[in-house]
Formats: sequence, structure tokens, C-alpha cells
Amino acid sequence: MMELLIAVGVMCAINTVLALLLVIADATIANYGECGVTVNDKKKLMVPGGRSLLSVLRDNQIFIPSACGGRGSCGLCKVTVLEGAGATLPTETPWLTPEEQKGNVRLSCQVKVKRDLRIQIPEELFSVRQYRTRVVSMSDLTHDIKEVKLQLVDPPAIDFKAGQFIQIEVPPYALTDEPVYRAYSIASAPSETGEIELEIRYVPNGICTTYVHRHLKVGDAVTINGPYGTFCLQPTGREMICIAGGSGMAPIKSLLLEMERARDPRPCRYFFGARARRDLFVTERMRDLEQSLPNFRFIPALSAPAPEDRWEGETGLITEVVGRHVADASEAEAYLCGSPLMIDACIRVLREKGMPESNIFFDKFG
Amino acid sequence: MKQSARDDAIQNQMRPGHLTRDGMLGADRRKLRDIIEADDAAVRRLGLSHAAIAARMRELRDAGARGLGQAIRVLGHFDVRVDSVRGKLPCPFLHPGLFQKEFIEVRNELSGEQIMFTELNIHLIQEHGFYEGLESPFRQDPATLARVLEVPLDTV
Amino acid sequence: MQELGFFTILFSAVFTNNILLTNYLGMCSFLAVSREVKASLGLGTAVFFVTAATTALNWAVYYHILVPLNLVYLRFIVFIVVIAAFVQLVEMIIERVSEALYQALGIFLPLITVNCAILGACLFMVIRDYSFGQACAYGAGAGLGWALAILAMAGIRQRLAQRSRIPRGLEGPGIALIIAGTMALAFMGFNGMVSLN
Repeated sequence: MMELLIAVGVMCAINTVLALLLVIADATIANYGECGVTVNDKKKLMVPGGRSLLSVLRDNQIFIPSACGGRGSCGLCKVTVLEGAGATLPTETPWLTPEEQKGNVRLSCQVKVKRDLRIQIPEELFSVRQYRTRVVSMSDLTHDIKEVKLQLVDPPAIDFKAGQFIQIEVPPYALTDEPVYRAYSIASAPSETGEIELEIRYVPNGICTTYVHRHLKVGDAVTINGPYGTFCLQPTGREMICIAGGSGMAPIKSLLLEMERARDPRPCRYFFGARARRDLFVTERMRDLEQSLPNFRFIPALSAPAPEDRWEGETGLITEVVGRHVADASEAEAYLCGSPLMIDACIRVLREKGMPESNIFFDKFG
Repeated sequence: MKQSARDDAIQNQMRPGHLTRDGMLGADRRKLRDIIEADDAAVRRLGLSHAAIAARMRELRDAGARGLGQAIRVLGHFDVRVDSVRGKLPCPFLHPGLFQKEFIEVRNELSGEQIMFTELNIHLIQEHGFYEGLESPFRQDPATLARVLEVPLDTV
Repeated sequence: MQELGFFTILFSAVFTNNILLTNYLGMCSFLAVSREVKASLGLGTAVFFVTAATTALNWAVYYHILVPLNLVYLRFIVFIVVIAAFVQLVEMIIERVSEALYQALGIFLPLITVNCAILGACLFMVIRDYSFGQACAYGAGAGLGWALAILAMAGIRQRLAQRSRIPRGLEGPGIALIIAGTMALAFMGFNGMVSLN
């Protein structure tokens, strides 16, 4: 009996001593205390150490773009760390070019805050916020594009420039087990600050589009952050040539609505490329804009109209249609939104028509 | 068969909901190395190589790219449509580079068969010999690819 | 029990009775981590520290707690608990000092706990009836020997990966075991210089 008690007692004593040792170690070695993060040499944040730079910035309302939520699998959360970071991690090097590595560019989701840091981020990120929103309506624009209207709940208004995009946070659902972020352009006018409209096209095996098309319902809460992006209206007064098809319409629509509100007299042509009549949408709104904007023309072009469409408008690839309608583009500027293939092809056509590349603005789905 | 920690990390990248909705392995429960070896054997039995299959996929993709998202007839009897959506995907094999989310639909007018693959698929086949797991939505069965795309035999 | 000096034991634990190449203990993380010299250096240092510290500490626990209280039968579980605590400590230190090394080692850092070389070193210390000084020498030597073996292996494997075409069937564990066997053969050449048994 005595031996039993001694044996158990000794085991307990040894375990207790070791556990105490580890508790002390955890409180000292693994504890980083409070660290100061200086952003762009003008804002200083005091944050508890030990967490990733991305999450401490987010806690302080500075949202660095991220599609993967901080797991190191999208490479979007790049930040320049001037002082205080350790060596670049192997999880970061795949995403950084040699020039970026020399320039102290890091992935903020992989940098742990262990001591004071001095970092540099693009200025426009200071105006990025996180918003809680509610779905107020969902409707089908075509067989694979849904229009989703989100009402801003908290904060109740968003300040953005026409042409910018936001990121939707997709919560875990069905087979997924972690939140994911995907970017969508805002299709509504900037003057509508309390509600935004998105055009979301279903992508096979897409995490966010499946969520939106199969699971999201009116009344659901959606968290978004933004606005991001540098694609916006240039106040030059030059003639505008817009080219976008499918879900590329969204930022162009936003630009046009902004022009409508300002009664902008600039000549503007919008070339909308699609396959057949069933891929056209928002055409009535475009016809309305032709009335309210005296110098605006909407030119849809179908590349493979079905016989039952009885299509009498333009046909052919969008680049051919643009080539037919535009003679001299040297005094115009272009706004393109779509896949890199389409944009590169359109840039070639526009340059052939005399447009300097500095006048071509695009949102390359990247 | 056991595989290294790195292979486990790569296999983890392919799970559902991480990069794509259903992941790249589907319901396939095998280890990544086993999947790659089985497909490697299948490719060699066909008398082909990963490079040859990937090259043919790329040839059809490049020809179809001129359609700018609409289907066009290329290389005789193939209808190819190349389209892409916003965003980029990293390769699950944990190396540098992001890949456009580009979808290539190929219909062989002679046989009537149709398949779909992505730009990432071409890279996975060429660089890693990876055809995705069984029942992954983008599983590229080597025999089907060889037949529908009419991949020419290696002339070595 | 011979009266072996501190440096004799140290030397033989590193070369003639190398815990990995002579006693074949600690093979799993040896085979897995030895692909890369940098990670091997980090892991080798960690294993050296843990082995040296825990052998000495376990000597104290064994001879001053377990033996006087007739609790020798508890030695396995007590040794393992002490090793586990130390590995936890080392993990915290490495995470603080070098995040890059921490990530490079990954799961193999906590796996040091069940590295049989370390438990093996503690048990050899008991079997061979070492004094405290001898135990310290042996622990340090065993750790150093393991670290030396993994570093040498990493250097060889890195060179082979750059220059040679290894047959597909032998890639990975196949060639690693062949190299390990060759190294063990080489270390057998030290036989007879000093013996610890």
C-alpha cells in the first residue's frame, strides 16, 4: 500500500514540476508581449505579439487583400516590411519575385509579429473597411449569371469609385471547412451608398459561385470588405470605348450609371460581346441610358446567334465588331473588363486604330 | 504506402473547399503518390508521355484562344471554347506561380465526345504527371484524353 | 564497470558507438529530415540539446528519486515524461528564435519526443551504470553523434540529388538506407579504438 502511494506520489510530483516549468516557459519564452506596428510612418498600432501581421492589421481595421483568409495559398497579402521581420519563410518564397524579396516584400499572413515592425502598404488600403450586409434580392440575369443586391447594415454606407470591386467572405458550407474570399466588381452607382449590386457568374467547381448560386438566400447575412481596385473613370473628357462581356459588364455599368448621374456629355460606346441572345442581359437599362446620356450608344454583338434568336444586330467576335465601328481611336480612351485573352486581343485592335496604350484602362480579372 | 510530409502538405492543398469547391481528389482515398504512379503507368501503357498529352492540350487551347470565349472550329474537326473567370489559383504542389482560372471545352466532332479541362490541368499534367483523383470534377483520365484529343504517339 | 574518462566516453559515443550508425536508434526522423542540410543542422542541434540535457537530468531523477524510493520500474515512463517536457521547451525556443527553422522542421520537432535515440541514451546510461560526469559525457556524445550522422547524410543526399540519376525504385527511402548502411560500415572502421561495453 505504501509503495503504491509513494509511486503515484512521485509520478505526480515529477509531472507537476515539469508542468510548472512549461507554464513558466510559455509565459516568458512564448510570450511576445506588446509590439508596435508602424504603418506608412504615420499610424502606430500597439498589438499583442504572436499573431500574424495580416490578422493584427485586420483587428485594427486595416484590410490587406486576401483570397485565402491567411493560409498562404493566394499570395495577395503582400506588404513591405522595412524593419522587424525575421527571415523570409519557405511558405512565402513561392509567391515573391527575386526583386520583391530584395525589396523586403513579405506575405503578411506568414509574418508573425514578435517585435516592433515598420511596414509600408498602398495608401488606398486605408479606406478599405469590412461591412456586414444582408441580401435584399437575388435574380437571374442569364442562365449562369445571378444579380445579387446587398444592403449595407454595419457600417450602413460604402464610399467607392465606379469600377472598384469588393471581396465576399464565403463561410464554410457543404464540404468546405474554412472561409474563403472572392472578388466581384460593384455594378451599382457610387451614389447608392446604402446598397450595392453584384453580378456573379457560376463557375464549375467554384467555391464562392456555388455558394451564391446554390446556398445563398434573400435575408442571409454576408460579410464583405473593400473597396479595392484602381479601375475607374478618368476625368479627361475624351471619347470612351468600353468593351466587356458576361460578368465583365459590372464595373462598366457602374461607370455608366455614374456618368448618367453627372449627365456626362462625353461620347461613349459600349461594345457588349456574347454568344447568343440568351447571354444578353440588362439590355433595357442600356436602352434607357441611351436616352438619358445623349452621346451613349450600346452595341451588343453576338458571335453565334441561334436561329430562333432572329438577331439583326452586330455579329462576329467582339474584336471584329470594334474594328468595324472604330475608325480612328487616337483621341479616345478605352475601358476594358474581361479575361486576359479578350483584353489582349482588344488592345491589339485598339492600337491598330491609333490608341496609345496609356489611354487603355482595364480590369484584367486578375 | 507512406508518403513524405511534403506530399501530405500537397495532398492537403487538394482537399475540398481549400482551392476549389470539390478539391482535386474527389472521393479518391488513395495517397497522392499512389494516384500519380497509377496514372503514370496508364500513360506508359498507352505509349504516350505526360509531355505529349500536355502539349496536345496546349495546342488545342492556343488554337481555341482566338475565339475569345466563344467556340471556334480548329485543327480540322475540333470545336474549342476557351474562357476564363476572375481570379487565379495557385498550383497545389507548393511552388511559385498563379494560374488563370481558364476553362477549355473541346468537342471532337468526329467521335461526338466532349471534355473540359483547365489551364491548371495542363500544368499539373506537364510538370507533375497529376491527372486529379477519381471523381474529382476535373479528373482527366489519360485514356480519354488520348482518345478524344487524338494525342499523337511519341515519335522517339 | 570500467573507469572511463569524460572525453573517452564522449569520443566513443560520437564515433565508435554512434547511437544511430552502430545501435540503429533514431532512424525515422533521420531518414525523413536528412534531405536538406539546413533542416538537418537545425534538427541535429535540437536533438543534441535534448539528449544532453535529459540524460543528465534523468540521471539525477533515477539515482536520487527512483532508486532510493524503490521505484526503478517507473523508469520508462518517467524518462519519457522528462524528454517530452524538454522537447516542448525546445519547440518554444525555436519558434521564438527562428520561425523559418520552426516551419522547416514541421512535425519532426515534436517527434523528437519519441526519437528512440534519446530514450535509448538514457537507458544505456542506466545499464552501463555511469556516474554523473560520465552520464553528461555520454548524453552529449550521443546527441553529437546523432547530429553528426544526420548532417553527413544530408550532405551526401544533397550532393546525390544534384548530380546523380537515381533509379526510380530506389528514390527516397531506398537510397537513404543504402547510404546509411555504407556510413555504418565506414564507422565500423573505428571499432576497437575504444569500447564502451
